[in-house]
Amino acid sequence: MTHSHTHAAGRRTGTTSRHGGRSAAPVPPQIPARRGPGGRRLLAALLLVGLLASVLPWWLGTPAGSLRSTAATLTAAGRISGLVAGYLLLVQVLMMSRLPVLERWIGGEHLARWHRDVGATLLVAVLAHVSLTLVGYADLRNQSVLAEVGTLLGDYEDMVSAFVAAGIMVLVGFTSIRAIRRALPYELWHLLHLSSYLVLLLGFGHQFTHGAQLYKPGPVRTGWIALYVLVVAALLWGRVIAPLAFNLRHRLQVADVVAESPDTISIYLTGERLDRLEMLGGQHFRWRFLTRGCWWQSHPFSVSAAANGRWLRLTVKVVGAHTADLRDLDPGIRVWAEGPSGTFTAAHRVRERALLIAGGSGITPIRAMLEELPPGAALIYRARTPADVLLSRELDWLAQARDTSVWYVIGSRDDPGPRQLMSPDGLRQLVPDVARRDVYLCGPPGLVEQSVRALRRAGVPRRQIHLATFEL
Amino acid sequence: MRRAFLAITGLAASTTALVVLKGSPGTTQVAQDLPTAQAVNPTPQDADPSAAPPAPGNPAGAAPKPSVSAGAPSSPKPSRSTARPSGTRTTAKAPTAPRTTSKPPQQPTTRRVTGPGVDNEYGYVQVQIVVSGNRIVEAVSLSLPSGGESDIHSGDVRDRYNGTGGEVVQKQSANLNTVSGATETSNSYKQSLRAAIEQAF
Repeated sequence: MTHSHTHAAGRRTGTTSRHGGRSAAPVPPQIPARRGPGGRRLLAALLLVGLLASVLPWWLGTPAGSLRSTAATLTAAGRISGLVAGYLLLVQVLMMSRLPVLERWIGGEHLARWHRDVGATLLVAVLAHVSLTLVGYADLRNQSVLAEVGTLLGDYEDMVSAFVAAGIMVLVGFTSIRAIRRALPYELWHLLHLSSYLVLLLGFGHQFTHGAQLYKPGPVRTGWIALYVLVVAALLWGRVIAPLAFNLRHRLQVADVVAESPDTISIYLTGERLDRLEMLGGQHFRWRFLTRGCWWQSHPFSVSAAANGRWLRLTVKVVGAHTADLRDLDPGIRVWAEGPSGTFTAAHRVRERALLIAGGSGITPIRAMLEELPPGAALIYRARTPADVLLSRELDWLAQARDTSVWYVIGSRDDPGPRQLMSPDGLRQLVPDVARRDVYLCGPPGLVEQSVRALRRAGVPRRQIHLATFEL
Repeated sequence: MRRAFLAITGLAASTTALVVLKGSPGTTQVAQDLPTAQAVNPTPQDADPSAAPPAPGNPAGAAPKPSVSAGAPSSPKPSRSTARPSGTRTTAKAPTAPRTTSKPPQQPTTRRVTGPGVDNEYGYVQVQIVVSGNRIVEAVSLSLPSGGESDIHSGDVRDRYNGTGGEVVQKQSANLNTVSGATETSNSYKQSLRAAIEQAF
C-alpha cells in the first residue's frame, strides 16, 4: 500500500475510515487534574540531599586540620570528587531508567535536561577525581604522574577496570557535547552512550577496594551498595518489567494506515483493555513495529488523539527510511510500545487558559491535547502551504465543540504575514491575554526558538511555556 | 547548559571549601586535641567498634556517625580482619625471613592506610602505610615538621623510616629505633604509625 495509492483512494481523515477518523470521542474527555511541579521539586531536593550525604562520610572520617601537606590536600579533593562522581553516575543512570514514577513526576523533557546538565558535571567530576588522585599519590611517592599510573595499574587491584571506566566516561562525555554529537551518526553515538552501563560495572570494584570511605564494612559501605542495587532495580523495572507488563496487557497491533497528506500518514492501533490505558493527550510512546526491517528500531511519536478506549492513533511525517517503511505496515502487525511519557499535556498547565502553537506535523500532540484542555484555548497553526495542514477537519470540529479559536497561518517564515503575526506585537494583538496563558509549542526547531523569543518579549513567564521535545 | 556550568562551578567551589575547612589553621585548635587524644589510647577505641559490629545499625549512609567517628577518624579505615585472600598470610609476621612459599596464585590487595595526625612542639606528623596482603610494603610521611632545623631532622626521619626499604618495612612494626636529634618527631611518627598498623590489621 503506497501512499499515492491510499491518497488516490481518497481515504483521508474525515472520510470513511472504519475507525471514524474524525473524532472518536462521543463525549469530550474529562479535563485532567493539574500535576504541579511539587513532585519534581521534591525529587530534586532528594537528589541534592543524596549528594550531600555521599560526601558526608568523608567529612566525618577526616580529622580537622589533617590536610597539612599538598599531597594530603590533593588526595582529599580527589576523594571528594570521587564520591561525587560515583553518586552522580548513579543519578544519571536512574534518570534514564524510564521508571514510570520519574516519567510521571518529572517528565521526559525535564529528565533529558537534567541528564545533560548532570552529565556535564559528572564528566568534570571524573576528570577531577582521576587527576587529583594521581597527582596526590605521585606526590606522596615522589614520582612522576606517569610512573604513578604504572604503579596503580600494576599493583592495585581493580584499577585497570577503573581506568577503562574513566576512559569510557570521558569518551561518552565528550561525544555528547552538542557540536561533536551532531557530527556523529546517531547509531554510533547511541552505541557509545549505551556503553556507559559498562562504566557502572567497571567502576564498581575500585570504589570498594580502595575507597577510603567504603573499604570498611559498615553503614557507609552498605548504603553505597544499596544505592547501586536500587538503581539497577529501577533500571530493570523501567526498561524491562514495566514495558513487558504494558505490552502484555494491551497487545497493540496495527489496524490501519491512512494518508493524511502527501507526506504524512496516520497509523491506527487497536489492542486489548484500551479503556484502562492511562494516557494524556500530548504524550508520546516509543514505538517498535514488529515487522521485518522495522523491529530493531524504536522511535518516539506522539499520539494524535486523546485516549478514547477503543483505538490509538499516531500521525507521522515521512522523512526518513524508517518512516517510509511505516507506510507499508499491514493490519495485524504487532506493535511494542514503551510509555506513555511526556509532560506536554493539559495536566501540566499552570494557568486556566492556553495558547497552542503548532508548526507542520507538530500539530499531532496538540491535536490530542486540545480534547483535554479547558474551553477557551487558542491555536495558531503554522504551515508552509495549505497542503501541509493536517487534520484540519478534526481541528475545526474540536474548535466548535470546545470553544477554541483556530488560526491557520500559511506561508514561509519570511513572508510578511507570518512574520508580523509571530512577533510580540502580533501575538498580543491576536491573543490579548497571552501573558496569562500557558503556551504549548511543537514544531520545527526554528519556529520554536523564534516563538519562544517572541513570547518572552510579549511577557509570558518561562514556566508557562511548554515545549515538546523528543530527545533521547 | 548554563545550569551545568553553575553546577560545575558550585562543585569545584564546595570541594575547595570542604578541603580548606578541614585543613585550615583556623580549625587546628580542634584538630590538635582530636588526633592526640585518639593516638594516646588507640587500642580500646579501635577495638570497640569491631568487637560489637551490630551496634551501628543505620542502613542508610545518611548518618554514619557512630561507627565512623568512634574509631580514629583518619581517612581509610579498613577492618582488622582482612577479608582479602592472601597467600602470604603465614609468612607475614616473619619480616626478614625469605619467602619460601611460591608466589601467591593471585595478587594480594594493595591499599593505603593513613594514621592519625600527631602534633608535637615542632610541628605535625602523619604517616601513611601501603599494605599488600598482610605486609607493609611502603611507608610515607604525609607531613613532618618543617622549617629551619626541622627540615634536617625531618629529612633524617624520612630517610630512615620511609620508603619501600625503610625501617618500617624492615621491621613490620612501630618498634623503630629513635632517630638521634629528632626524638619528638620520631615518637610522633611511631604514634601515627602504630595507629595506622592497628587499623590495617
